[in-house]
Amino acid sequence: MGSLDLNSLINALVLGLSIASIWLLAAIGLTIIYGVVGVINMAHGEFIMLGAYSSYLLQSYFGLPFLLCIPASFVVVAAIGLVIERGLIRYLYNRPLDTLLATWGVSIVLMQAVRLIFGSDPKYLAVPALFSSNLQIGFINLSVFRIVVMAVTALVVAGTWFLFYRTRFGMQVRAVTQNKEMAASFGINASRVYMLTFALGAGLAGVAGSLFGVLNIVLPTMGTAYVVQAFLVVVTGGGTLLGSVFAGGLTGELQSIFAAVTNDTFARFLLFLLIVVFLWFRPQGLFAPRSVRR
Amino acid sequence: MVLALDNIASYYGKTPILWNVSFDVPKGACLAVLGRNGVGKTTLMRTIMGLTDRSTGSIRIADTDLSGAPTHIRATYGIGYIPQGRQILGKFTVRENILLGTFARKDGKEDIPELCLKLFPYLAENLNRRAGLLSGGQQQQLAIARALATGPQILLLDEPTEGIQPNIVHEIGQTLRMLNKELGITLILTEQHIKVARALSDYFIILDNGRIVARGPTAEMSDALIEKHLTI
Repeated sequence: MGSLDLNSLINALVLGLSIASIWLLAAIGLTIIYGVVGVINMAHGEFIMLGAYSSYLLQSYFGLPFLLCIPASFVVVAAIGLVIERGLIRYLYNRPLDTLLATWGVSIVLMQAVRLIFGSDPKYLAVPALFSSNLQIGFINLSVFRIVVMAVTALVVAGTWFLFYRTRFGMQVRAVTQNKEMAASFGINASRVYMLTFALGAGLAGVAGSLFGVLNIVLPTMGTAYVVQAFLVVVTGGGTLLGSVFAGGLTGELQSIFAAVTNDTFARFLLFLLIVVFLWFRPQGLFAPRSVRR
Repeated sequence: MVLALDNIASYYGKTPILWNVSFDVPKGACLAVLGRNGVGKTTLMRTIMGLTDRSTGSIRIADTDLSGAPTHIRATYGIGYIPQGRQILGKFTVRENILLGTFARKDGKEDIPELCLKLFPYLAENLNRRAGLLSGGQQQQLAIARALATGPQILLLDEPTEGIQPNIVHEIGQTLRMLNKELGITLILTEQHIKVARALSDYFIILDNGRIVARGPTAEMSDALIEKHLTI
């Protein structure tokens, strides 16, 4: 156990913000799909993986600049999500346990399909030279790419909030989550809302994937590493957007501070333990989930 | 006919709740659906909206056959639904609740209609209030405003005066009369208060055990009929 002086504490907090943005970015698509559609999407990690491969494909074969790969991956993975929702998930909406198994099956299919097409060897995403440099402000040291991840996360959260709370589509979504029958009685097509929300959640996982593919190597199995994190954030937060923002922030900072005092592995162990204890006492998460359960 | 039901049967799961229900409502009329608790009045309303598990027979709204159409499609044919228990969205503001009605409009208007605010000054003054905080009577007004925001030809009112203090019952009765007589909106209402039903309606049907057992112009609703089917 090392001790923590003020400088390294501030460094840990800044790094924690970066870790938090990764946790949150991994979780936001899952949050939306769980909170609105009520589906526990076991294939979320594979949506992230697909985002990474989409970026790899667009970059290596079509020469798309990395910054354009991010929105392009959103579109590609959202389209895949849309097809999966229309072809499978929508038939299982009143069988929640079956969606759990079905999405798990989807995750295996996606993983194997990618392995067939791209092979099991790791791929790499290239980023502009600027992104791989480091930024030094006083004693704080952070890679530029981590700042990019934070910026994208902030943009994604703000955009999602705007969509849900400031647009007619968002009002439809919130009406459906509150009372599906009433929403339908006033002309809202709940099935369409679910379809679009599922696609949106998948697309956001795609965005996450295109960034995570730079932080780590791109592999067919890369999703499993992120899906656990994403689930912890969603469950700790209680399944709402606000909950995930707080849960992501809290877990990221705690992990960073624990890691500064001890080491990375022990920090994770401690964090997971804390989450388990937290959920023991507060199974509904930080913020109360939606009141109406289907 | 603005609404025509022919040989409707309706089910929850495999249990039939209504069967052999047929009636027409002329444009601008007010039909009272009467009957004791549990005879299928609410199910009839839900069947018209397409909210039961399954129904057979034909439903025509404004000369369009909507049998088998999903609820959100039916809503766009000019039916404003005021459900039992009001079912306003508690987390939405008053404004958002009224705006919910506009999703059923075919003319693409996205604003709160003038009429809603004029009829219910309390709502107009509290548009940003959380709807869950309103009293029962205010929530009923909100449910009516929401249904009016759809620009309806027909209002389906399921127990609009249930659980509301007597002076507001009178007020709501007057509002409904105005909507019916002056604006020509067709009303279909279920009602426990025979007095309110008598004062508003042109025609009545009485349900018992899922079937229509009596019908006619309201003027011909005899005390014997009420005695037989409505008193407990």
